[in-house]
Amino acid sequence: MGFLDIDNTTKSYGAVEVLHKVDISVEEGEFLVLVGPSGCGKSTLLNMIAGLEEITSGEIRIKDQVMNGVHPSKRNIAMVFQSYALYPNMTVGQNITFGLEMHGVPKPEREKAMHEVAALLQIDKLLDRKPGALSGGQRQRVAMGRALVRNPDVFLFDEPLSNLDAKLRVDMRTEIKKLHQNLGTTIVYVTHDQIEALTLSTRIAVMNGGYVQQLGTPQEIYDKPANIFVATFMGSPAMNVIPAKVEIENGRPVACVALHDGTVTTLPFSQDNMAEWQGKDILLGVRPETITDEDAADRKSKNIAHLTNRVVVTEPAGSDTFVSMTLGNRDVIARMRSDAEVRPGADFTFAVNMEKAVAFDPATEKRIPA
Amino acid sequence: MSVASQDTAIRTGRVTRMLIYLVLLLFVLFYMLPLYVMLVNSVKPLNEITGGGMMNLPQVFTLEPWAKAWSSAQIGVEPTGLRPYFWNSISMVVPAVAISTVLGALNGYVLTKWRFKYDTILFGLMLFACFIPFQIVLIPMARMLGLMGMAGSVWGLVLVHVVYGIGFTTLYFRNYYAVFPTELVRAAQIDGAGFFQIFWRILLPSSGPIAVVSIIWQFTNIWNDFLFGASFAGPTSQPMTVALNNLVQSSTGVKEYNVHFAGAILAALPTLLVYIVAGRYFVRGLMSGSVKG
Repeated sequence: MGFLDIDNTTKSYGAVEVLHKVDISVEEGEFLVLVGPSGCGKSTLLNMIAGLEEITSGEIRIKDQVMNGVHPSKRNIAMVFQSYALYPNMTVGQNITFGLEMHGVPKPEREKAMHEVAALLQIDKLLDRKPGALSGGQRQRVAMGRALVRNPDVFLFDEPLSNLDAKLRVDMRTEIKKLHQNLGTTIVYVTHDQIEALTLSTRIAVMNGGYVQQLGTPQEIYDKPANIFVATFMGSPAMNVIPAKVEIENGRPVACVALHDGTVTTLPFSQDNMAEWQGKDILLGVRPETITDEDAADRKSKNIAHLTNRVVVTEPAGSDTFVSMTLGNRDVIARMRSDAEVRPGADFTFAVNMEKAVAFDPATEKRIPA
Repeated sequence: MSVASQDTAIRTGRVTRMLIYLVLLLFVLFYMLPLYVMLVNSVKPLNEITGGGMMNLPQVFTLEPWAKAWSSAQIGVEPTGLRPYFWNSISMVVPAVAISTVLGALNGYVLTKWRFKYDTILFGLMLFACFIPFQIVLIPMARMLGLMGMAGSVWGLVLVHVVYGIGFTTLYFRNYYAVFPTELVRAAQIDGAGFFQIFWRILLPSSGPIAVVSIIWQFTNIWNDFLFGASFAGPTSQPMTVALNNLVQSSTGVKEYNVHFAGAILAALPTLLVYIVAGRYFVRGLMSGSVKG
């Protein structure tokens, strides 16, 4: 039994099922991020935890209490909305204490709690202002203050950073992470931004089409994606998925990949069990940062393969240079050091860290387990 | 013409501008003329009017007709002036406006934030109330008021006007609340606020502009109503409009035009006042309720 259990939960609108048998168990103090493209059901799931949407079947439990049909205010949860949803007619202080007032907390206690939270979030100077007079970042803080003051079992965040500009978003991301580390609260956080998901979470549920595609730690999700959707959704630029054929060379399984001119090169697998796939087609998954020049190749890796291929485009991005080429008739991106001497139109020898490469079954699009 | 060369969308030539203002001025005069006639003749002795020269300024200025219209003119059979009927109107209009506005706000709140199956159909049906002519409901309404024991009373009139007004007030508030962020309602729900707490604490404080629209609209319509007042009011509950009619239409004695004019202005004053006080919010509120929908 976890702290928050989502047990075989589905959601239907009429005959249309939008969430299919979701099964997630969250431990106390965990930071679970629900991530996925828009329309994947992540916000619906969050609203079901909050009690704003009904549960069609299955159960949601908080601290072993079944929450189906329990009013949102009685679940001891707090929610931060994408638009912040601050009450425009109340001051910041009134916004923060409104929930306590509705729960019948006496005024002196409300004031005390308000000042504590305001000090924690550094909004004590704003308490008498109206939300309309605040900047985006300040509103964000007030919205978090309103959630914190209730001291809830579970915090729910619904894309809280997507209305902020890029710089502020990074700052607030760090602050949310700090807050979680300091307070040790249980958080369920919805976002479509895979970087937010990877940086904030202790665990991630990647969702698509109403299904949880994979549930795991950020490292698992990134290194061992369950399927091609997860592989390409998480990480920027996305993981390269290259059509390849498995052969045996010198007793080792290798992936045969077509270069830009159609000649075939071989990349040896680290996984022995790939030998079972001899003669069959697979999809080879390679993260851009594992394709580098020789000098930048991971020294700890026992399996660096080399291939010489024509460079199509280089995109310098300050810290890195993105180099694209054609492999197996697909565009493949390599993430190089910014000072790597790569010229478009010329041939270049790349070093591929095959220890980090994964293989997918082209029929099911699932990862072939090592 | 050198001026003409400066013609742009922003800077119009002086001659054109003068012409525009001249035309506008003529329109103003044209529309102000009835008010002028009423005002001027309401402060003249009767013989100045009957002697012709309705457009002339008064030679003898007197407030006698105003005083008479207010407190001693013959209305029907009683020489009471318009005063008691003015209070009848007030005691009908104030509750009718308040109740229909509050109910409209509640309807709008439910129809947008507590959606249920077929709510749009229900809303569509409520809109019919805006299109049903008054005359159609006269007889059934009279029967209903009789059955409820409210015939001939101020409260009967209040009920009639509330029922007729709900269609409009619901329309206003529904459209206004349709663009009111639902996340605020959800946040309040999580904070533990109930149905009415959300309404009083969150929605109503943000409804100023549309409330003004609703109040002005209802106030003008109910104050100016003659048909329901004439049909359903008893002798002691007749509103101002009916009394004014009785004042002007009385066939005995001399027609005191100056008193009639003063009475007509008295009857129009409250609506004028409402427009002057809240008029600028009216347009603003109409816009905010209708642009996004």
